[in-house]
Parts: sequence; structure tokens; C-alpha cells
Amino acid sequence: MLDFVAKFTSKKIEFVKIGNRYFLANKELESYRLEQKEKWFGLFLGEDINDEFKPSFGLLDWLSENSTEKVFVKDIGETDFLYGKTLRARHIDHVNGETKIGFIKLIQNINDENLGYGKIVGDFTKTEQVIKPRMDRGLMLKREKKKFKKKEADVLLDF
Amino acid sequence: MNIFKERYASMGGDIKFIQLHRAIRVNTLKITPEKLKERLEKKHVTLEKIPFTKNGYYVKSKFNLVSSPEYLLGLFYIQDPAAQLPVEVLNPKSLTLDCCAAPGGKTTQIAEYVPVIALDSNKERVTALEFNLERIGIRNCIVYLMDLRDVKKKFDYILLDAPCSGNYTLEENWFNKNSLKRIQDRSRLQKELISHALSILNPNGVLVYSTCSLEPEEDEEVIQFALDNFKVKLEKIDCIGDNGLTKFEFTKYHDSMKYCRRLWPHKTNTIGFFIARLRKC
Repeated sequence: MLDFVAKFTSKKIEFVKIGNRYFLANKELESYRLEQKEKWFGLFLGEDINDEFKPSFGLLDWLSENSTEKVFVKDIGETDFLYGKTLRARHIDHVNGETKIGFIKLIQNINDENLGYGKIVGDFTKTEQVIKPRMDRGLMLKREKKKFKKKEADVLLDF
Repeated sequence: MNIFKERYASMGGDIKFIQLHRAIRVNTLKITPEKLKERLEKKHVTLEKIPFTKNGYYVKSKFNLVSSPEYLLGLFYIQDPAAQLPVEVLNPKSLTLDCCAAPGGKTTQIAEYVPVIALDSNKERVTALEFNLERIGIRNCIVYLMDLRDVKKKFDYILLDAPCSGNYTLEENWFNKNSLKRIQDRSRLQKELISHALSILNPNGVLVYSTCSLEPEEDEEVIQFALDNFKVKLEKIDCIGDNGLTKFEFTKYHDSMKYCRRLWPHKTNTIGFFIARLRKC
């Protein structure tokens, strides 16, 4: 996890690990723990799956507050990115931080809200395709559909 | 259906199939209601303030809101207006226990104000809760996959939104799927849950009990059981709905049962709902 965070910021992140999952350290919450083993603790940062770290959207939000490595997209770019499409030069509003090919960037909408992250694949001033998505918030819908098949849909019903 | 129709008529209620308005609750951790309204209205979504909730809006949209960036960013939670009320009635000021938390509508609402311990004993439902905590961006909640009856720690604020038989506005053919026996079984479980919840409530602490059931066995009878067996009193609730029943069939309930709120779908244009606020003496 620390390697992933280091791609965006030099700020130190403190965490607690529960099984293969990482959570942001939180002293206030610590004092509220029950005797039993918790399943979730405050801000979920991500998890190790098959020795690979998968960040959470909570971590990307945290990074948004602590990193300047951001690409800001226009409304049309926001929609396309959330559908998993590659970002093109016309989608981009402006870029903060590094612009070299191969770098990882946080993808933000014009309100500076995090939509996910992606990799720079082209020159922002010259090429058409500039950011290849790595993870976008549209994934939330996909994982719900995958996890809860139609017959189990009542699991998600909330009253 | 006839059994229920007669029962409801004797309680001053009725069965009327209504078209419920779709509603959302604004996630004020991320955005103000005014700004969300402005953003969604640019996308031709109509928002109308729900007069009896704090941050609830009726919504009309030509597209599925679940696929909107605003939903994916966790700026709002899709939630019936009635289901937004228990947390408002609880009005927590410090750490709160949410006993049957998944999938997390009320948990994420509590977490807007105070830290929350959320429990659920169903693994699949806890996964749904986790998805919602992540989407809404909650940072002050601890989740346990466990039964309320195993908790020993004491709390000043407890929300017991108890598992119930539901009601006819939530489920197709609800009347064919339910029987008085099933309702009695639920009632037994609810009494066990409220017993434990009250045993871990600190003196002067507040417990809000709610269900989406219209059946007195799951509502007033459970509260009467609490009044009979614990040092608690009912507190008056200032919100939409009819008074709780003080009498049903041949059973008389405590006079203070009128302080509870009973939401009949045809009167409130919400799902059926029941809310009680108990304070430990």
C-alpha cells in the first residue's frame, strides 16, 4: 500500500491492518472498539489480493486531499471516464503536477471530486489519447451487480 | 389480505396501493442540499424538499439516478422518507450503536453527526453495508459481523431498526407471503433484541426502536414488553404520522404509547413505518 501512496504524495499515512485489508489509523475510533474482531474500521484504504494492492475509493479521496498529482476533466470527460473510457485531450480541463507518459494521476472532476485514477499514455498537447483508466467509480455499480445477483437483490434494499 | 384489511381497519388504517415518490437523502458530509439541487437540476432532475425530513428530497428523473456521477460520488443516498426519520428522532450526540445496520442507510445518516458502531449478523448484508460506507465516504464507523445479543459494551444512544415482516408497499404479494404466525415469530425475535439493547443502554440513555411493519405485534406489543420489563419511559416524538395504538383487539397498551408514530402509507405517502423513542430511567 505504501508504494501505491508514494506514487502520489510524500505525506506519511498511518494505517491498521485487519486481515488483508488496510484502514486509516484513527485514535478516537480505537477507543470505541468492542471486544470482538472488527470487519471494518473507519476509512477503508484498500486490500491485498493475490499479493497485489487494490486501492479503495476512500484512499483515492484521501490522496485527493494530500496530493497535487491530478488531472481535472470537463463534464464530458467525467461521464466517459466513469464508463471506463480512455480520456482524450478534449476531455481535459487542466493538469497539475507531472505530465510525463507512464505517470499515475488522480482523475478529478471540475469540483475537485475524485473519479478514480489512471495512467498517462500520451502527450497532453500533441496526442489524442492521454489517460488510460486504471480504476473508476463506475466500478461500484459493476461490483454490486457481480456480488448480488438479481435473486439476492433484497440484500441491497434499504428502508 | 382480508385478515389484514380487517386488522388495519380496526387500527384506523387501510390498505391502499399507492405510487411512492422516489426520495433521496443528501450526504451533507460531502455537499450542501442547495449545491446538490443545483447540480442535479442542471441535468434535468427535479428535486422537491420533503417537508418532514431534515435533508430529504423527492426526486423525478428521466434517467436512473444510480448511474449518475453524483450517486457514484456518494453525494446522496436513495432512501424512503420514512426511513430517514429514526435517526432524526434519535438525534444522537455521542457514539451510537446501530444494531441491525445493513445495508447502511441509517448508519451513514448517523455517521454524519457522531461515530457509530454498526452490527449485522448477515455476511452478505454486511458486504452491502461496506459498499455503501465506501461510496458515501464514511470515516467514523466500525463494523462488526455479529449478533446484537453478543455485545457487552454500554451506550448512551442505540438505534434498533429491527428485522421485521415488512409491509405491503415494499414487496409484491406481501399479503400472500405473510401470516399471523410469521408475524408472531418476528415479534419474539424483536423482544429478544430490544431486551438486550436495553440491557446495554446507559441510564438516561436513549433507544429508538423502528420497524417497517404495520403489525402491532411487531410494534406496540414490543414496546409494551419493554415498558413492562425494563425501567424505561416513552418520549414524545415530534414528526409525521399517527399516534401509536393504545388498544388493539382485546389488548390495552400503556397510555404513553400514543407518543410513538405510526406511518400509514396512504396517509404519509411513505412506506409503512413505526417509530418509538425510549429513555432509560
